[in-house]
Amino acid sequence: MSLVTRNVLIALFITAALTGTVAYAVNYLNNARITELGAIEDQLSIDTLSLDTQFSLLEAAPCDTAASSTAFIGKLADLGTRLSYAESQLGIDNPQVIRLKQQYSLLEIRDYLITKQLAEACGTKPVTVLYFYSNAGDCADCDKAGYALSYLHDTYPSLRVYSFDYNLDLGALKTFIAINKVKNTLPAFVVNGKKSYGFTSLEELEKQFPKGALATTTSKL
Amino acid sequence: MSPEMLAYPFLFIAIFFESFVLVTLLSKPARAARARTAGTETPSVAIVVPCYNEAATVAGTCETLLALEYPKDRLEIILVDDGSTDATPSAMACFADNPQVRIIRKENGGKHTALNAAIATTGAEIIGCLDADSFVEPNALREIIPCFADPKVAAVTAAMSVHRPKNLLQHMQNAEYIFGITLRHVFASVNGLYVTPGPFSFYRHSTLKEIGDFRHGHQTEDMEMALRIQQKGYKIENAPYARVYTKAPETVFKLVKQRTRWTTGFFRNILGEYRGLVGNRAHGVLGMLVLPSALIAVGSGILIFSMMVFDLVRNTVTALEIRAGIPMSYTLLPHSSIDWFYLPVSVYVLLGASTLLASLSLIVAGKRISKTPGNLALGLISYTFLYGLIAPLWLLRATADVTFGKRRTWR
Repeated sequence: MSLVTRNVLIALFITAALTGTVAYAVNYLNNARITELGAIEDQLSIDTLSLDTQFSLLEAAPCDTAASSTAFIGKLADLGTRLSYAESQLGIDNPQVIRLKQQYSLLEIRDYLITKQLAEACGTKPVTVLYFYSNAGDCADCDKAGYALSYLHDTYPSLRVYSFDYNLDLGALKTFIAINKVKNTLPAFVVNGKKSYGFTSLEELEKQFPKGALATTTSKL
Repeated sequence: MSPEMLAYPFLFIAIFFESFVLVTLLSKPARAARARTAGTETPSVAIVVPCYNEAATVAGTCETLLALEYPKDRLEIILVDDGSTDATPSAMACFADNPQVRIIRKENGGKHTALNAAIATTGAEIIGCLDADSFVEPNALREIIPCFADPKVAAVTAAMSVHRPKNLLQHMQNAEYIFGITLRHVFASVNGLYVTPGPFSFYRHSTLKEIGDFRHGHQTEDMEMALRIQQKGYKIENAPYARVYTKAPETVFKLVKQRTRWTTGFFRNILGEYRGLVGNRAHGVLGMLVLPSALIAVGSGILIFSMMVFDLVRNTVTALEIRAGIPMSYTLLPHSSIDWFYLPVSVYVLLGASTLLASLSLIVAGKRISKTPGNLALGLISYTFLYGLIAPLWLLRATADVTFGKRRTWR
């Protein structure tokens, strides 16, 4: 075997080994991301259950539990951001991403229901936004709407924003959509029970909120 | 299919190419070349300095040639004024009384005619060429001569870097030239060179007589000559310790103009008279690896740059659309936390980083092999951040020129 042929074969081996190592490393990192998401979701499940249990235990003074709920929505939002990033890295069809989104949606629905119960029991008026989107390529304005809601949430941390993939195959979500009578015209918003469809600008979206809600939400919870 | 998928074959080829360079660098022929010591043989040598409006540098160039450690009676320096319109003749006249220097004046006819005019007047065994904006180390010629020991060697190239780089662009070129030192050293060890650069390349006179004079070669007479040498079955060697420093363009415009000339010359030679070398097993590494890789490199440079521009424009438009109506104070601030989770790592990014890292390693290797003095840090930084943005400009321009048959002037 000539020197050149030998060197070509070695170079091919190095190239294949390097490419394989890179592919393995990226796959390893993606799996670590999934594991991390799973761990966060597990923690949130415990938090939800804890909140639920606290609510049942302290029926006489349920409002004491409200203190922890702002921290919870922060964690939930962080999980949503991570899930969205993982989705962009692994693809919207990735089975693990879909499973995590299902769990995440369940957590959101659960938190939404607890928030409603707390509001009734304590007489508070939290501003909740249910946001329905699609990333199947049929919602041109969903990215804009999502960013506008992120801005509102970051600006008014106590604003409770719940994002749902309208097309996610999850029984509870379908029921949730049916109960709230949300049509498949996306993006869709339900702000404190009031529905609106489409997104034109931040200004228009803000008009959907109760008068003075954005200025005072922080102090209400 | 994502646009990134298009880049994967090119990245794979780039990594393969660099791996081959690395493996060959460690192989016996390259090690033997590095172990070669300056010889005691002193064949007669004539070094030709073709000049066209080089008043500012020709004296300095000539001074470094006169300082070469070589017997004065065995070394002749021929300064050729190719019809300069500046003060080149008076700058040359300073050396008129030096017995080692001969001055030829002729009508302007191009670099190849200047070289031929000088070669026709000398009987030296070895002919050297040195651009009038280049400067050599005193031991450079002694490093060159032993490479001619093999009678099949028709030409020898030197180790070229940039003379006193000042701005970032010149530092970038310095890193690129030093990368070239590694590549030239490696490919010479397997006879894969296809250019004998203007700064300090040497030719066996008897072979030049056999294969003919320098030609216009689509404004790349040095490449045409090297390809002709390879086509005729001779070898081109490299002397990695023969250091030569050349002036590099100081502006992007001048650099793009220079490189467009080089790249169009490459295309026109390779796709024209020397098409038969590409993919030709009889020409070994040159035919099967070096020339195809050089062609692919042009394509991949254009493709990856186009993808970068496309992604940048698309992402910018999307970002502007998404952020419309949101206060600037919010949009300009980063919102994701610093966390390993958000590491922007993909196969594309890692393979690209591996290619860059290998390139930087080979640049450092080039500096160490040739013992080129100077600090390389600025060169590595500017090469990392500028080269990928500037090189596609000349690749695109050259490709367009060749496609539409456009010819440009030398300067």
